[in-house]
Amino acid sequence: MMRSRLAVLLAALTSTPALSAQGPITSLDSARHVLDRLAYGPTPGMVDRVAREGVMRWVDAQLGVDAVDDPNLRATLSHFDILSTPTSELVRRFLDAQRERRQRQAAGDTMMGPRPGQPPPGDAELRRLGGQLPQLVLVRAVQSDRQLAEVLADFWFNHFNIFIGKNLDRVLLPEYVEQVIRRHALGRFEDLLIATARSPAMMVYLDNTQSVKPGASPPLPNRGPFAIGRLGSRALDSMRLEAQQRRPTGLNENYARELLELHTLGVNGGYTQKDVTEVARILTGWSVALRGPVAARLARRTVEEGSFIFNAWAHDDGAKTVLGTPFPAGQGEEEGIRLLRMLAAHPSTIHFVSTKLCAKFVNDTPPDGCIDDAVRTWRRSDGNIREVLRAIIRSQDFWAGVNRGVKVKTPLEFVASAVRAIGARPDSSFRLALAVAQLGQPLYQHVAPNGYGEQEEDWVNSGALLNRMNLALALASGRAPGVRGTLDAVIPLSSDHPTLVESVNRIVLAGRMSEHTRKVILTEIGDLQDPVLARAMAVGLAIGAPEFQRQ
Amino acid sequence: MSLSRRVFLRRGALGLVSYGLDPLFLDRAVYALSAQRRAEPVNKRTLVCLFQRGAVDGLSMIVPHGDAAYYRERPRIAIPRNVVMDLDGHFGLHPELAPLKPFWDNGSLTAVHAVGSPDSTRSHFDAQDYMETGSPGVKSTPDGWANRYCQHATEHAQTPFRAVAFGPQLPRILAGSAPALAIDDLRTFGVRARTSTGSDRLTRAFESLYESGGPATGLLATSAEESFEAVRMLKAANPAALSVTNGAAYPRGRLGQSLQQIAQLIKSNLGVEIAFADVGGWDTHVNQGNAEGQLALRLRELGQALAAFATDLGERMSEVCVLTMSEFGRTIRENGSSGTDHGHATAMLGLGGTVQGKRVLG
Repeated sequence: MMRSRLAVLLAALTSTPALSAQGPITSLDSARHVLDRLAYGPTPGMVDRVAREGVMRWVDAQLGVDAVDDPNLRATLSHFDILSTPTSELVRRFLDAQRERRQRQAAGDTMMGPRPGQPPPGDAELRRLGGQLPQLVLVRAVQSDRQLAEVLADFWFNHFNIFIGKNLDRVLLPEYVEQVIRRHALGRFEDLLIATARSPAMMVYLDNTQSVKPGASPPLPNRGPFAIGRLGSRALDSMRLEAQQRRPTGLNENYARELLELHTLGVNGGYTQKDVTEVARILTGWSVALRGPVAARLARRTVEEGSFIFNAWAHDDGAKTVLGTPFPAGQGEEEGIRLLRMLAAHPSTIHFVSTKLCAKFVNDTPPDGCIDDAVRTWRRSDGNIREVLRAIIRSQDFWAGVNRGVKVKTPLEFVASAVRAIGARPDSSFRLALAVAQLGQPLYQHVAPNGYGEQEEDWVNSGALLNRMNLALALASGRAPGVRGTLDAVIPLSSDHPTLVESVNRIVLAGRMSEHTRKVILTEIGDLQDPVLARAMAVGLAIGAPEFQRQ
Repeated sequence: MSLSRRVFLRRGALGLVSYGLDPLFLDRAVYALSAQRRAEPVNKRTLVCLFQRGAVDGLSMIVPHGDAAYYRERPRIAIPRNVVMDLDGHFGLHPELAPLKPFWDNGSLTAVHAVGSPDSTRSHFDAQDYMETGSPGVKSTPDGWANRYCQHATEHAQTPFRAVAFGPQLPRILAGSAPALAIDDLRTFGVRARTSTGSDRLTRAFESLYESGGPATGLLATSAEESFEAVRMLKAANPAALSVTNGAAYPRGRLGQSLQQIAQLIKSNLGVEIAFADVGGWDTHVNQGNAEGQLALRLRELGQALAAFATDLGERMSEVCVLTMSEFGRTIRENGSSGTDHGHATAMLGLGGTVQGKRVLG
């Protein structure tokens, strides 16, 4: 039953002449296209397999997964102990290292301390754990069967970007990635939005922890009978003084602004500076539970270190108006939820996010038809991301010849697709992530909240192209840092060069090699007697070639 | 991209202008003809733009120590009068910018204060976009002002190094139809193999892959073409081998390295007319600090890097101008977190022989 419906759909897609400037799309072309856009490129033989089993069947299976995480990867990911380290423990290590450093500085240690963005010295364990995060991205991108889910997770992380180098975000990010982004990447946009707003990582990154009703201050801690005796009154005073100097004393609009500008309405979404301020007022008190050494001994509540907390004392309880909608006084934490729901359903948000999705999956300049399809489905499905994706994939624009093979791969996409194309895999070190960084996209290190861009102008410049060529050569000769796997398992050696090059075309380029590229490669390997060298050269040139830069 | 016929007739390099030819090819042909004169500087002047991303607090760079309001509005983060390096009795340098004082004294440093965009957006990205595209309030401008300059001012030898940005990505300010190069590190720029013959061979192979008529089109094609031309020229001139002169001491880190390499490019006569580098970390919403602290550390790096650059270039600074810029400034009044929020105007520094120094303008 399923099969015949899919067959009809595929027939419909392939038989409509308007879809392709070059004529009706073949099932191989469709397979290549979905593996380019909805996955990190094909692995050897995957294009044939998907074409044979049915392109839309593959798409539906990808859309139908119950969660982003691929259970088949569980064993591989068991090395990554960042995934099983509780946030509270990470936070404690971080604060300990920070306190240690301050004590050293206070004691006259004149070392300048780390530059912003660099890890604090002296906690090698934290650094080891932190280095696992970008590598996780690569392992999943290359090896997960749930490819579309991984592509979406990357998209949403950039949309709700957080810079790992900001303060506590170094240790708050793992939970953000797993429990906020990956958990909600395929669900409802509203749920994802609310989850980001209630994440400690976001509250720290955009300074909402520093936003309080002007003049508000935390209630005095209830000093237990032993507290002062243990700490000594002088130590208590100096710590209290230091805390006072750092304590926030008013509104901080940073999160409110980016929430409207980047996460929901978009910069042209019709909000004013006044709206930004009102949103900031609504979100006062949305913060993170953190206890320094004094508070830890004096606190009465048990709250997990580094978890979200609503500080009622910091909240501005007055009446507000946002985008013309009144928010009556005295609604506490609940008015923030109400605000987020309103923003998630706002027409500007629907249009803005749909446009971004179409730019990611269809064309750098997203066609109106695609955007309209996405918006309509968003409304109908109440912001169900799966359904919106489905509508985009089924739109005519997605399959149109002018939109196929025209996007330039981002560094992450290039590296992941190159490793997949030669049937290799990343090892558990940090080194492949470093290669992505050297192409201009250090993962989790985009400082500004707008995240990494999708357009070719963001990635195509002379320096970066040369580095892609270098990485291509390294991969092909088995010298790429952080990669395991040999070409032996994938491309048979041959001293007949035309045969060799055709193998490379079929297996590594999925049949995309142009006559021009074929000629150049044959010329270059012409005088190479050593078949291993010839193969490495052919593969290196193929991955560095123009065809492989596009998807 | 259109070139005026006047340019060609004046150069006398080509008798006929055929509008069907790729302009990039033509320009390169013209340059190649005058290559034998490469021993002399090919361009007259160089502008080095240094973008401080994040909206730098100009009031902390050029401190209005003569203004009582400054101290009133910033009880926790004002720079104390006794550590400010006075410039003209009213303004002074942040102590960490002390390395720049000698340049003020010799007339090659100027500051322009309270300068900002006519558009009042307080969004970093928008404001950076407006400043880099040179069109405040308009988001649809596709190219940067530095690139547009290169498009229109064609009485300059077109070399791949005419417009260079240091960093992994080409910034907006140099985006556009005129060729511009993004270099992460001069020493590693190019296709790399174990031997230099290997590198040459592979470079040629990739160049063939990306040549016109093949599968490379659009931005991929033009970008590749520029890369290979640049690689050729770097090989010939070898700027990375040039040592630092006059005892200049660049601070360690990306900013120091970028400026040092810009200096090397200038000294190599490769035709750099516009160079760009950026440095982040200026968005001091929280705990800005005063004479010490977050912002002070950043200013220390900046001061050392600029001073080293000017020292390194020595006499050549007479034809160089370094201009710092930032997308907007910060509030005069400090905020609730011992920092400052987004304000309107900030300070720009002009450093070099082309600058009429020893003034704080604006």
